[in-house]
Amino acid sequence: MKVSRLYLAFVFFVLYMPIFYLIYYSFNSGGTMHHFESFTLDWYKDVFADTRLLIIVLHTMIIALLSSSLATIIGVLGAIAIYYAKHRWKQTLLTLNNVLIVSPDVMIGASFLILFTIAGIRLGFTSVLLSHIAFSIPIVVLMILPKLQEMSPTLIDAARDLGANEWNVLTKVILPYITPGIFAGFFMALTYSLDDFAVTFFVTGNGFSTLSVEIYSRARQGISLSVNALSTLLFLFTLVLVVVYYVITQRASVKGGQE
Amino acid sequence: MDDRVIIRFDHVTKQYDDDLPVLDDVSFEMERGKFYTLLGPSGCGKTTILRLIAGFIEPTKGDIYFHGKRMNNVPANKRQVNTVFQDYALFPHLNVFENVAFGLRIKKVPKVDIERKVKEALRFVNLEGYEQRAIHEMSGGQRQRVAIARAIVNEPDVLLLDEPLSALDLKLRTEMQYELRELQRRLGITFIFVTHDQEEALAMSDEIFVLNKGKIEQRGTPKDIYDEPVNRFVADFIGESNIITGTMIDDFVVEFANQRFTCIDRGFAKNEQVDIVIRPEDLELTTVERGKLRVRVDSVLFRGVHYELCCYDAYGNEWLVHSTKKAEIGEEIGLHFEPEAIHVMKRNGGE
Repeated sequence: MKVSRLYLAFVFFVLYMPIFYLIYYSFNSGGTMHHFESFTLDWYKDVFADTRLLIIVLHTMIIALLSSSLATIIGVLGAIAIYYAKHRWKQTLLTLNNVLIVSPDVMIGASFLILFTIAGIRLGFTSVLLSHIAFSIPIVVLMILPKLQEMSPTLIDAARDLGANEWNVLTKVILPYITPGIFAGFFMALTYSLDDFAVTFFVTGNGFSTLSVEIYSRARQGISLSVNALSTLLFLFTLVLVVVYYVITQRASVKGGQE
Repeated sequence: MDDRVIIRFDHVTKQYDDDLPVLDDVSFEMERGKFYTLLGPSGCGKTTILRLIAGFIEPTKGDIYFHGKRMNNVPANKRQVNTVFQDYALFPHLNVFENVAFGLRIKKVPKVDIERKVKEALRFVNLEGYEQRAIHEMSGGQRQRVAIARAIVNEPDVLLLDEPLSALDLKLRTEMQYELRELQRRLGITFIFVTHDQEEALAMSDEIFVLNKGKIEQRGTPKDIYDEPVNRFVADFIGESNIITGTMIDDFVVEFANQRFTCIDRGFAKNEQVDIVIRPEDLELTTVERGKLRVRVDSVLFRGVHYELCCYDAYGNEWLVHSTKKAEIGEEIGLHFEPEAIHVMKRNGGE
């Protein structure tokens, strides 16, 4: 018992150590990451004074919100289509969906780059948005399908029995039922989009950049602790998202758990 | 056409792919305002009939008429029929009031009317004051009532009930049987009730359809079906019976267990091979001298209201007897019965 606890503590320590190390030095006035001189918020001031960086933050947010919203809409329809698909197709479709989730980002990014070049789409906002939507859809589908499968098919019969047409069935029965799944899928897509580096790195261009790509290029140029400050902010924001996600799923499961 | 007829099946067959038909060339009529029960073992096609009437599936062959109009291609949402589902199928994201109001809201009934009708429906099923409850806060019996209220609030011509009592415990089930019967009388609409429980069917119905393997074996009042089963399957399914083979010697004379008995059946061919049914409760325990049959007691079970005796005669026929008197295992006893207790059925066939 004690050993397993110690082990767990050690694992989490190792996993979180680098992040806290980075956060710790974002408050260092010394300008390096090996000697802490004194506490300062200068790096954060730097971040907020950097208009180019703020625009990139804005872009990242826009890309994340837009792509996850659109991916959620497409993913909901896709999940419902898979749910209604004939049995032998269902498994195939699901497998095709899951392959996209596990396939390496680098491969997906490279293939998108080729696709956009062939299709003549200018690299920049559009290409990044499209690719983010594309890699988010399978995640949304994966979050929503279990909800659909747990729904009793007699619910749909009951709705039709009470006079509902296909549209009523969708809006008054299916969508309300899978709402927790939709939220879960949306937040997952949001976090995937926010912190995606590999795919974005391939398909971005013409001066358009997202936070993770920007942090990467700045870190390569040389060590500035403003990168630490920026990363800290990003980390905190992700943390907020995770908390929101948990609150939503928790509330949904409490509701379901009392059944 | 008789205008009391509300539903008519005309040579309806339902078949999936190349499997055996679930429903095989079935024709029947149902009248308005009656309580019908479709009774049969699982897989007999009773739920298929219900789903055909509701409009969830379409017949492979044949026609379904509703008020004399062909209904085959009318979708479920356009039919004057509502269903109470086996698992109730209540919408978990809506409260009791909204569940009941669902159909009315779809039909865009004015708000005031919805309020009034939902309250009325809930009063009908004794659920006043539960309007704001969430579905998961309701017990099994209460959910059952919500499901009924949700169906009857739409004022359907026919209410379909798909084994609605099977999830309830025995006491509640008996209680709901009375309530459903009472509800049907008050509403005056046609109820079509699906069950595999013969006691339920006998207790509630005006008319019972006994189904087996996609065919209607027999239809009739509970008394008809119980007293005059047309064949071995119906006799066996409708209650515990003694079914033995016999020979119809002449009108009113039947031979079984190597003896001749007077009975009340006629119209068979001379010396026709028949099945004989005698209900366990029609057999009366008596002394060997006074009995018409002489049997040896093999086992005795105490069933509460009566003893259940399993006996054998000298020819190896098994006789089940329900008696308030007790007998000892191994004891020789006599069995007495009236001529009316003997039900003669054709072998493997109809009436």
